[in-house]
Amino acid sequence: MARRPHRWAAVAAVTTLALAAAACGRSAPSTGGGGGGSSAGNVSPTKGLVTTSPAGTKPVSSVVWAVYRDVNSLDPIYAFDYPENTAVSLMCESLLRQAPDGSLQPGLATLANPNPKTFVFTIKPGAKFWDGHPVTPADVVYGLKRGMDTKLGGFYGQVFTRVSSITATGSDQVTIKLKQPDYWLEGELASIPGVVIEKSVVQQQGKNYGTPSGKIMCTGAYELKSFAPGAGVVATANPDYWQGSTKALVQQITLKGVPDTSTLTSGLLTGGIQGNYAVGIATLDQLEKSTNIKVYQGPGWLTDAFIVSSLKGALGDVRVRRALSMALDRQGIIDSVYRGAALMPRWLSNPGTFGYGKSVFDAAYAKAPVMTQNIAAAKKLVQQAGATGKTITIGTSSQLSDIAAVTGAYQAAAQAIGLNVKLKSVSAQNFVNFFIEPKARVGVDGFLTVNYGDYADPAAMLSTLVLPEGSQNYDQFHDPAIIAAMEQARSTADPDKRAALVAKAEQLTAQQLPWIPNVQPTSVLAISKKLTGATVSFAYMFAPWANSLGGTG
Amino acid sequence: MLVASLLIASFVIFAAVYLAPGNPIAALSGGRSLPPSSIAVLEHRYHLDQPFLAQYWYWLSDALHGNLGLSITLRENVSTLIAQRVWTTAGLVLYASLLICVIGIGLGLLSGLRPGRLDTSTLVVTAVSAAIPAFVAAIVLILVFAVQLGWFPALGNGTSLVDNIRHLTLPAVALAISSLAIVARVTRASVREEGEREHVQTAVSRGIPGRQLIQRHILRNAAIPITTVTGITIASLIAVAAVVETAFSLNGLGAYLVQAAESKDLAVVQGISLVLVTAFVVVNVVVDVLYAALDPRVTLGGNR
Repeated sequence: MARRPHRWAAVAAVTTLALAAAACGRSAPSTGGGGGGSSAGNVSPTKGLVTTSPAGTKPVSSVVWAVYRDVNSLDPIYAFDYPENTAVSLMCESLLRQAPDGSLQPGLATLANPNPKTFVFTIKPGAKFWDGHPVTPADVVYGLKRGMDTKLGGFYGQVFTRVSSITATGSDQVTIKLKQPDYWLEGELASIPGVVIEKSVVQQQGKNYGTPSGKIMCTGAYELKSFAPGAGVVATANPDYWQGSTKALVQQITLKGVPDTSTLTSGLLTGGIQGNYAVGIATLDQLEKSTNIKVYQGPGWLTDAFIVSSLKGALGDVRVRRALSMALDRQGIIDSVYRGAALMPRWLSNPGTFGYGKSVFDAAYAKAPVMTQNIAAAKKLVQQAGATGKTITIGTSSQLSDIAAVTGAYQAAAQAIGLNVKLKSVSAQNFVNFFIEPKARVGVDGFLTVNYGDYADPAAMLSTLVLPEGSQNYDQFHDPAIIAAMEQARSTADPDKRAALVAKAEQLTAQQLPWIPNVQPTSVLAISKKLTGATVSFAYMFAPWANSLGGTG
Repeated sequence: MLVASLLIASFVIFAAVYLAPGNPIAALSGGRSLPPSSIAVLEHRYHLDQPFLAQYWYWLSDALHGNLGLSITLRENVSTLIAQRVWTTAGLVLYASLLICVIGIGLGLLSGLRPGRLDTSTLVVTAVSAAIPAFVAAIVLILVFAVQLGWFPALGNGTSLVDNIRHLTLPAVALAISSLAIVARVTRASVREEGEREHVQTAVSRGIPGRQLIQRHILRNAAIPITTVTGITIASLIAVAAVVETAFSLNGLGAYLVQAAESKDLAVVQGISLVLVTAFVVVNVVVDVLYAALDPRVTLGGNR
């Protein structure tokens, strides 16, 4: 399943701009900012968040949308990070679709589930590619098998581990047979791994598919006009979109890589950039105050967390992990790193991920305690564990300002409860090695991440760290009760029952703390006041987000 | 000379990027853990499983055949990628050079020849602006002229020629400002120095008219140090352009070089470096040729 460490955007020179621009000092983070207006530490966490902005009504000729760096590829099997996902989800469609509220809906196909080990997808009548060719079962089968093919070096091979066969079983039907029931696959097929591309075009393009000089063929309401690195990805409205009820109002959208936060901010303020999905943006206050920009906050699928990568040191004792969690100044992180655009956690997963079984999840979540700071109790726990004076080593990078800031919060927390902290600081480029190089983790007790799954389900991320084969289970964390709940959830068809099992796993995880949740970032959309209609929630990463985009008024 | 510089530079840069921290496959996958078979496929595709010298040899033999290789992150020919961006950087550096030559030298001449209030204020202003690094200039210029006044766009390249010039104005000023100040100061100093020389004083006492005096006796002699400093600063602009391009989100070579180095995209780093080294050498050659034109005592290629 999905895992991503962090957005590697270098936040340079931001402070200078912020200092110079804001003629006032940093005030407390605004709680009613934009349409979202989620107050930090809000008790009912998703209250006040919006999943989408009101649909646009007027035609617009051209929009420049910023992503944090240039798009590298438009091939869905290589789409793994914010820029690629934003580009692919703008133009391409999956078999199923994640609605902005995270619920699963039919996409290019409808799903039937005759028995737990069989998924039957029926392609919707009229579904066609930009070139007018109808979507056929052969296209679907080819695309999915391409995603499974490890020889291509694609990023989603692990998604299909329970699949035994994918075959065309009718003129509009594709059947997936499973070795074991897998209700997590539905979510993946409503995400990037389920994107449908045209077989003949992929074959004709070969290695060039999705590169700047190659072309792509998808089905969405926007089609690719050009892809030039540096200049950006240009998409234009598809006049013959197969779902006639949706008509793209924006003639042209340019996705442009803008790595520098101060450049992004001035671009938004001056109208050079009309929209951006921002994560932990240091200039959020400036944007919220601007008369040209509206800032929305929506449910996020993201978790900012401390990964306990070694259970051999002081953090091997669950009491020490709990103490460290209790001592952490989460409100400080929300204020300084996220400028208010994050929530206090109760579980490891963001409540924005409750895409199904909502009432079950909400009830269980409401009962869970908010992870507030309590230094006195934390100190006691450390003493009970006999860990006072022990040292923990945190892997960090002083060049990644967000990571460095949260590391600082952990240093303060550990020192306040009688632990010593050693930092192993690496360059920004090498920070990724903590995730992929066992050697880099030697002697490190933990490091920080901003992580998310591919679809709205707490299990999407949780499975990567609590299951024995999970790609982010770094030190064989093994809790039989959690594993049992997760495995059972994966095979449970009924959404409410599945939600209850995942909720149980989350509750246990919040006690065992294989990872310590720091805060739950919301999804932040900064958009020109002349525009509206973009998805606000984190679903923009996985499903068309600009189909309702248009002018205001 | 050029060939030797390029060869040495290419080896040193290749080695430096090779030794630098990071892993191109990790940059490619965004740190997502890939199945070992996928990693093997990708490493083989880009010769990453070969020893250092073999990798360099692959690159060099391709480069000698005019093939600069394939970008790992974009899966695209490096020469295509460079061609798309070279005009932005060239335009930016030319624009900035023009500002330096016209305003820098102009200001220096004026204040050198006319002592007084203008001279004093030029001295103060250039002393301050010589100390402004390009990235600070970029931030202030964006803040004042793009965000507050809205006269110029804050970022991007523009679509037509006029639009391009409008988009490049702030970046060119940011790039030129400190060099411009230095050139102005050097120009002023050398004009002053020449003005106080004996032969000029003699010319003055002989009643040679001012214009002829300035052209023949002062400027001709002051031209050599001015050319040297202008040449060096213009060559240095090629390197500083990276900072300005990043700040203004311009689609240029410098910004791309930084980006490629961060993701360890070796072929791209190599390709751009070679273009920049070539440009640097060419600028220096032009300056040498100018020397010869300005000063008959200097002969090209001869033993001095």
